[in-house]
Amino acid sequence: MAMHTRRATLTPKVLSYSGLAVVLLIVLIPYGYIALTAFKPAEEIFDVRWLPRVWSLDAWRYAIEFEQFHVYIYNSMIAGLGAAVLALCVAVPGAYVFGRKQFRGKDVMFYIIVMALLFPFVLLVVPFTILWVKIGLYDTMPGLWLAYQVFIIPFAIWILRAYFAELPRFLEECAMVYGCTAFKAFWRVMLPLAKPIITSLMFLAFLVGWNDFLFSNMLTTGQGPRTASVIIYVSAVGGERVEWDVLMVMTLMAGIPPVLLYILAQGQFLKTFAVRSY
Amino acid sequence: MAENIGIRVHNLRKTFQRGRVQACRNVNLQLAEGALMVLLGPSGCGKTTTLRCIAGLEQPDNDDAIWVKGRNITRLQPKDRNLAFVFQDTALFPHLSIRRNISFGLDMHKTYGRSERRRRVNEVAELLHVEDLLERKPHEVSGGQAQRVALGRAIVMEPDAFLLDEPLANLDAALRVEMRTEIKRIQKHLGITTIFVTHDQEEALSLGDVIAVMRDGEVQQVGTSHEIYHYPVNFFVATFIGSPPLNCLPCHVQTDNGALNLASQAFRLPLEAAGGTASLRDHGEIMLGIRPESIAIAPERPDTVAARVSLIEPLGSRTIVILEAEGVELRALVQGETSVREGEAVHLRLDLGRAFFFDNAGNRL
Repeated sequence: MAMHTRRATLTPKVLSYSGLAVVLLIVLIPYGYIALTAFKPAEEIFDVRWLPRVWSLDAWRYAIEFEQFHVYIYNSMIAGLGAAVLALCVAVPGAYVFGRKQFRGKDVMFYIIVMALLFPFVLLVVPFTILWVKIGLYDTMPGLWLAYQVFIIPFAIWILRAYFAELPRFLEECAMVYGCTAFKAFWRVMLPLAKPIITSLMFLAFLVGWNDFLFSNMLTTGQGPRTASVIIYVSAVGGERVEWDVLMVMTLMAGIPPVLLYILAQGQFLKTFAVRSY
Repeated sequence: MAENIGIRVHNLRKTFQRGRVQACRNVNLQLAEGALMVLLGPSGCGKTTTLRCIAGLEQPDNDDAIWVKGRNITRLQPKDRNLAFVFQDTALFPHLSIRRNISFGLDMHKTYGRSERRRRVNEVAELLHVEDLLERKPHEVSGGQAQRVALGRAIVMEPDAFLLDEPLANLDAALRVEMRTEIKRIQKHLGITTIFVTHDQEEALSLGDVIAVMRDGEVQQVGTSHEIYHYPVNFFVATFIGSPPLNCLPCHVQTDNGALNLASQAFRLPLEAAGGTASLRDHGEIMLGIRPESIAIAPERPDTVAARVSLIEPLGSRTIVILEAEGVELRALVQGETSVREGEAVHLRLDLGRAFFFDNAGNRL
């Protein structure tokens, strides 16, 4: 009997782990090949084998010393962080008001904001470029931050509003009776409660800036705050031949920071999805 | 008035949607310092709005509506009123421990030093028997415990008054009765002016030093449990209070040879038995209200009413007998068990001396 039940629970476990392993391999194999190719000397690039015959740092040296790729990584970092901070400054108070306060025209305003998400923002790139040149935001970092908000803010308000709306009734009023101003009630009670989801949104907003190619490509020049993703594209299609080893180095360098950030903020993300009970 | 006035609500008007909805028409209340008043009324009668106006969570239409200890606080911010509000939903702060929840008000005002605040929280926690829960989070305590903590958060502030908005409504029946007693005990112990809002008449009658019955944004009657129950000012108060409910019978007053008689579909009774009924002479159609305990099953006499027992509802210590007399349904409340059976023909003695008479407008005669 005991054997029987053990086997019954064991089989689904084995199956689910093998399933997960397959998925994991699908994800990891390309990354593994990228990582190993980054250490191959130029003449080995087209050899179909996993490990390099000679381990070489030439591609890394080239990417950093000649292409100055770390500068663009830094640009991407600033673009992502700025986009995230700016988005939260607008979206958190905005979502709070939409989620918890009553005022005239609230629903109409909210739907107009969310409708912005439905608009294909590829179509905005050209008008943005013209406008940015006119008002002096072209080829500047604040110009990039602002451009990203077209997508980030509606999305963030949409997600955050639902979260704020679900928090227990009377919380702010209670805080106000016990000594808070309306703003302090928001700051001391509502904001701490929304911390996990704000962290998650901040990460997503950062990724928008970090991964963006479209705006960065159109709104910046080689002399300006060009981001890493554009440089990767340029080096892939720019010259007479593609320097695959350098491209792999850049891909690795651009891929690692978000992973590190994710690991750092992981605890907060888990809280976002954990069952809440009040 | 010799006593100091704790809270005074003066001609309170509160309208919503630009005057289209009148929540409070003209509310006047006066409460001695240290007293416990219950605001009682059906839902939508304006009792919660009145309480929220006192707390500053709603703004009254008139500028001189709310006075606490002789000070007009109508336009003060909630945080500056030194009143403690306990909500129907417990509204504990989910991200703070029970200790931080209780000390929230103290932490915001910072009147006291850290160790003093800690001492006060411990003291209150002991009073409410939640001292073992202090380091837990709100989701780790039960509903009753959470409501105790909410009370503790109010008590620790040493406010000028407690404002309790149906604090027991979300608790189960047994716990509700227990907490009711506890609230009354704590209120007496601390001597803090308290307003308690409820729609539960049993809760109101058992708790309040004074009960204010409200309807449609107006106070109908203010009085002790005894006064409200035995001397209601109008038909609404008389029917709203009492369980099983008041028996109501449309009647008319007749004069036969100078003798006053009360006639209805079911009976015709001499009115001399009831004292102070001379004023009834001028009224034709009136409404008779008689409490179930004022109807007794009795041997047949000229002044008894014939009826048939249609149902018996035993409640243990008392029994409700539902009777039918000429198409009129009456409820009688009998102590203990009853010997009558369903379907049996009986005679009823109506104690008209303890009955109420109302005119067409519902005013007590």
